[in-house]
Amino acid sequence: MNAALPKALCLKKGALLKQVLVLSRAATPRENCLCAAGDVLVSCHRHYKSHPAHGIGRFKYLLPKEVPKRKKDKVQMKEINVGTEHEYGDLNIQMTSYDIYAMPTKTDEVLFLEERGSKMQLDAVLTTHQRVVQISGLSATFAPILLEIIQSNQPEGVHLSVAEHTEAHFKSRLKSRPELEELLAQMN
Amino acid sequence: MVAAVQRAVGWGRWVCTAAAPRPWRLFGAMCLLRLPRITQPLEKEEEEMAALMGQIELEKSQYSDHEMRKLEEEEQLRKRKESLYDDEITGKTVIMAQDLEDKWEQKLLRFKAAPRITDADKNNNRTSLNRRLDSNLMLLVKQKIGNQDLWLLPQAEWQPGETLRSTAERAMATFLGDHVQAKILGNAPSGIYKYKFPRAIRTEDNLGAKVFFFKAFLQSGDLSQTELKKDYLWVTKDELGDYLKPEYLKKVNGFLLDL
Repeated sequence: MNAALPKALCLKKGALLKQVLVLSRAATPRENCLCAAGDVLVSCHRHYKSHPAHGIGRFKYLLPKEVPKRKKDKVQMKEINVGTEHEYGDLNIQMTSYDIYAMPTKTDEVLFLEERGSKMQLDAVLTTHQRVVQISGLSATFAPILLEIIQSNQPEGVHLSVAEHTEAHFKSRLKSRPELEELLAQMN
Repeated sequence: MVAAVQRAVGWGRWVCTAAAPRPWRLFGAMCLLRLPRITQPLEKEEEEMAALMGQIELEKSQYSDHEMRKLEEEEQLRKRKESLYDDEITGKTVIMAQDLEDKWEQKLLRFKAAPRITDADKNNNRTSLNRRLDSNLMLLVKQKIGNQDLWLLPQAEWQPGETLRSTAERAMATFLGDHVQAKILGNAPSGIYKYKFPRAIRTEDNLGAKVFFFKAFLQSGDLSQTELKKDYLWVTKDELGDYLKPEYLKKVNGFLLDL
């Protein structure tokens, strides 16, 4: 801005000079509004409502409205086997093991009672860990390869089961509500 | 003129074979695998890494309940020896942690692990299942194809009306009996081997054969009551080359893991 001034002085003469100076003076505060707070330089880009570029970064109003999801959605997918390209639907791969380092899903307490000498109780705590991975669209030609590789690389003491996803699997994750069932039984 | 006639004949033949049933005979073969029983020995780098991780874990760990108890009891014993008066004439006999450790040590000495190398005992007996416990073993049988005996994976001819997977199951049952428990890995074949018959046998309807391979895992360990055929072998992947023909071997190696 300051470099432009001498040029303005050379090119334009007389009455135009004052106008150029006034314009440059007015432009600076709005464009170079810098607030220094400590080390951080914060620049304010927001314009007032009457500025033509007001609300220039808004886009959320353009996206389609999202319907709030209901708590329980009964999703049952069954893939259709088409011709020679067979695909499995949803498969659940479930691995169960006894490990020390992962987050346990079920903890059993086993008590050993030693009868010889004085009665001593040795408690043993067994933690069972279960993880379920769900995959979909597994092609029939790839399935044997996947199964063989998983089984060959399994560590010892891990129980593996691969099953198709059914409603029973879905229901086993939900807690049963005895009061609701009582009320329903009373109603019917 | 001659060339035109030949071309016309060729075209005619192509039209004829497209309408007729396919000239390939189909076979279903079963690749029965016995999974390894023990893990493979670690490489040098893996051993060094395992030792290093063990060391780190040991240095980062804290005493367990048993070790704390042992330390406390040793402390008590030492105090009792130093102090010349024996207090607390305890009537109850308490089992000390050291006694427990001794008992466990005794139990360990009585335990004897099974040998890892059993093939050394068996003198390279390739018909037994106890050989090479750390790798996959595959079943090979001697079958008569045409007029020669060949070592192959057990195969049977496909009959119309059954699936190829049941053909492979039937092949396995004919060679090993009905009581073999095997888990077939999927409904789709893992590999295919296609060959044409030698010119002497080749006809219009009998061009060649296609063999579809299915993979299965052997579930039960003992096959004592089966074994109908006498010439069968259980071999590993690197020993396959001794028995199979090169083209066949190439196709079979395509779907086998390097174990």
